[in-house]
Amino acid sequence: MSDKISDLFGAFLAGRVGRRELLARASQLGLGAAAATTFLNRTQSQALAASSYDWKAQSGQSIKLLMNKHPYTDALLKNIDAFKSLTGINVTYDVFPEDVYFDKVTAALSSRSSSYDLFMSGAYQTWQYGPAGWLVDLNKFIHDTSETSGDYDWDGILPNLRSATAWSGKPGDALGGPGAKQWALPWAWELNSIAYNKRILDAAHMEPPKNLPDLIEMAAKISKDVPGVYGIGARGSRSWATIHAGYLSAYTNYGAKDFDTSGGKLVPTMNSKQAKDFTRLWVEMLQKGGPKNWTTYTWYEVANDLGGGTSAMVYDADSAAFFQEKGTKEAGNIHYHAFTPNPDAHQPTPNVWIWSLAMSAFSKHQQAAWKLMQWATSTQQLTLGATKADLIDPTRQVVWDNQDFKTRMNGYPGYLEQFAASSPGAKIYFTPQPLFFNVTTSWAAALQKIYSKQVSVDDGLDQLAHDITAQLENAGITD
Amino acid sequence: MQSPAFRVVRALLLLLIGIFFLFPIVWVLLMSFMTNVDILRSPPSPFFVPTLRNYVALISGHLSTSSGEVQIDYMHNLLNSVILSTCSVIVSLILGVPAAYAFARFKFRGGEDMAFTLLSFRFAPPLLVLLPLLGYFQAIGLYDTYFGLIWVYQLITLPLVLWITRGYFEDVSEDLELAYRLDGHSWLSTFFRISIPLARPGIAAAGLLSFIFAWNNFIFALILGSSSVQPVTVGALAFITASGIEYGQIAAALVLSVIPTLILAIFTQRYLVEGLSLGAIKG
Repeated sequence: MSDKISDLFGAFLAGRVGRRELLARASQLGLGAAAATTFLNRTQSQALAASSYDWKAQSGQSIKLLMNKHPYTDALLKNIDAFKSLTGINVTYDVFPEDVYFDKVTAALSSRSSSYDLFMSGAYQTWQYGPAGWLVDLNKFIHDTSETSGDYDWDGILPNLRSATAWSGKPGDALGGPGAKQWALPWAWELNSIAYNKRILDAAHMEPPKNLPDLIEMAAKISKDVPGVYGIGARGSRSWATIHAGYLSAYTNYGAKDFDTSGGKLVPTMNSKQAKDFTRLWVEMLQKGGPKNWTTYTWYEVANDLGGGTSAMVYDADSAAFFQEKGTKEAGNIHYHAFTPNPDAHQPTPNVWIWSLAMSAFSKHQQAAWKLMQWATSTQQLTLGATKADLIDPTRQVVWDNQDFKTRMNGYPGYLEQFAASSPGAKIYFTPQPLFFNVTTSWAAALQKIYSKQVSVDDGLDQLAHDITAQLENAGITD
Repeated sequence: MQSPAFRVVRALLLLLIGIFFLFPIVWVLLMSFMTNVDILRSPPSPFFVPTLRNYVALISGHLSTSSGEVQIDYMHNLLNSVILSTCSVIVSLILGVPAAYAFARFKFRGGEDMAFTLLSFRFAPPLLVLLPLLGYFQAIGLYDTYFGLIWVYQLITLPLVLWITRGYFEDVSEDLELAYRLDGHSWLSTFFRISIPLARPGIAAAGLLSFIFAWNNFIFALILGSSSVQPVTVGALAFITASGIEYGQIAAALVLSVIPTLILAIFTQRYLVEGLSLGAIKG
C-alpha cells in the first residue's frame, strides 16, 4: 500500500497526475485530505533533497525569523517542519502584529542585532534598510550556483516584483535599474483594485464602475439613496498607506507622478496639472460617496466596512476584500473588478505592496537563512500556500496558472479576471528615495486638509510640493 | 432638609454620570460575549445571542479567524504580565521604601540630587533610551529575559515608589519614632514597627500605582523581548491581523487582563483604609 502511495505522489511531482486526481486516488487508497497534504509536503521535500544541491550543508544550525501576523505567515509556518526535515536547520520565530511589527524590525536592525536572521519586509522599507547597510544584497546568493538550488526558478517570479525589490540606493534611480541590489525576495503581494458588494449594487441596479467619474456618480448615489450604506471605501489616515493604495493607483492612471527625475535630481510633482486634476476628482469621490470619518480610515476599517455591508465598494488591496470572504455578514457577496480610472487610459495601473523576505546583514547564519528564503519562495511552497492556505496573491505566474489554484479562486467571482487585467500594469509607482515615509505622510496630511476644506486643492498641493522640497534639501538629497 | 424633588434630580444626575463613565466598560463586557458579525452590525444593537467562544479561544489558545485556525498564546502573555509586574513592584518596594525613608529622614550631601535623578527617569521618553538599552541587553545577555525586563521596569516603578512613599515618611512624626527608640528599640526595629505601619497607605498606593504602570507598559516589552516574555499589552495586538480585527477576542482579552489589577486594587483598598485610620492618631 505504501509503495502505491509513494508512486502516486511521485507521479504527481513528475507532472503525470493532476492535484485533483492525486487527491481522489489518495482517498481511494485510504488517505484523508490532511494526510494527503502531509504526504505531499514530505514527497516534495524528498524530491528537493534528491537534487544535487546540498540542502543539508547547514544542518544543525539555528535561525530565527521575525514575521508579521498575516495569513501569508500562517501559510509559511504551517509547513515549516518540512523545511526543518529537508535541511536539518532549526527554525524559531517571533510573530508580531503589523501595528508594531516594523518598529520591532527597525529597532533590531538599527541596533545591529543578530537576534533575527531574516524577516518580512515591504519594498518601501528596504529603501530605508538597504542603503543603511542593514540588509544583505541577495544577488550574491541568487547568482551563485553553489548557494542556490538548480531547481530554484528565480526568473519565474513576476518581473515587476523582482524589480520592485531591487534598488541601487541612489534617490530617483529606477527600481531594478543598473547597479540595483536585490534587497529582498518577493514572496507574496497584493494589488489595488475595486471590490464591490454585488448584493448592494444589484439592489441599486448598478454595474461595476467603468472609470473614476462613473465611480464618483455611483458612490454618491448609493450614499444618498441606500440607508446605512456609503458608496466607496478608501484609506484616509495620516499615513503612507493612504497614498499607496487606491490613491496612487488612480493618480498614476491619470498620468501624474510623484517626482520628476529627468534633471538628475528629485523635483516633487504632486502639484502638477495632472496631479491637481486627479486629486480634485479623488476628494470629490470621498466627499460625496466616502465614509463619514474618512480621515481615520486604514486597511482595517475599509475591509471591515465591506465585510459588514456598510460600504458598497472599496478601492484597496484585492486581498483586503478576500479576507472578508469568511465569517462576515457579506461573505459570498463580494466580487472583484479590474479598474481603469482614467476614461482615456487603456489598462489599470495598480500600485502594489509586496510582502518580501529580507536577510539581516547582522545574521550569523546567512547561508542557512538563504536556504529558508529560497525554499519559502519556491514554486512548490507558493503553490502549497496558494492552494492549501491563504497565500492568495503568489509572486509566480506558474502558480496563477495552476489549475487547482484557478479552481479554488473561481469561487471568488472576478478575482482571477481582475488579476489578469491588472497584473501587466501592476508595479510600484513611487520613486524610490529614503524619505519615502516622511513624504507620503505629508502627502496624506495634505489630502486630509483638502478633504476637510481647510485648503483648496491647488493651495494644498502647492504647499505640499514646497514642504517636500524642503524635506529633501534638509536631508541633503537634492544637493 | 432636602426636598424630595431635589433628591430625585440628584439621583438621576448621579445615574447619568454613572452610565456615562461605566458605558465603555459595560460595552466592552458585552462585546466579549458577541461574535464579530454582531459587533460590526450597523447600527449597533445591545440585543444578541451571547457566546463564550471568545473566552474559549483565549483560554484554549485556538482562535478561529476568517483565514483559518490560528494559535494564540494569550494566557502565556497574561502570566508574563503577572510575573513582570509583580516582581517589578516587589523589587521597587524593597529598594524604594528604605531609600524613601532615608531621603525623608536624613539630610546628606547629594541626597536631593540623587532623588531628583531617580525622578528624572520618569521624564525621559522610553524611546530615547531604548536603542542603547537594546544594545546593552544583547551584549550582556539580558535581551528576552524576565530578569532584564524587571530590571528595566524599575525605570517606571522605582521613582513612583520612592517619591510617593517619601512624602508619607515626611508626614510621620519623628517624635513617635524617637519615643519608640527611647524605649530601647533599635533603629531598624523602629523603621519596621513604627515608620512602615504609619506610611502603609502611601506604600499601598505606591505599590498599586506602580503595578498599574508596569502592567500597562508596552514599549519596553515590545523591543527588549521576544514573544516568550511579552505581556498582555503586546499580546492583545495579535488579534489585529491583515485578515481582520477580532474585536470579540480583544474585548475578552481586555476583560481578562483587568481582573488581576482589579483584585489587587480591592485587596490594597483594605490596607489603604487601615493605613488611613492609623494615620488619624499619629499627629
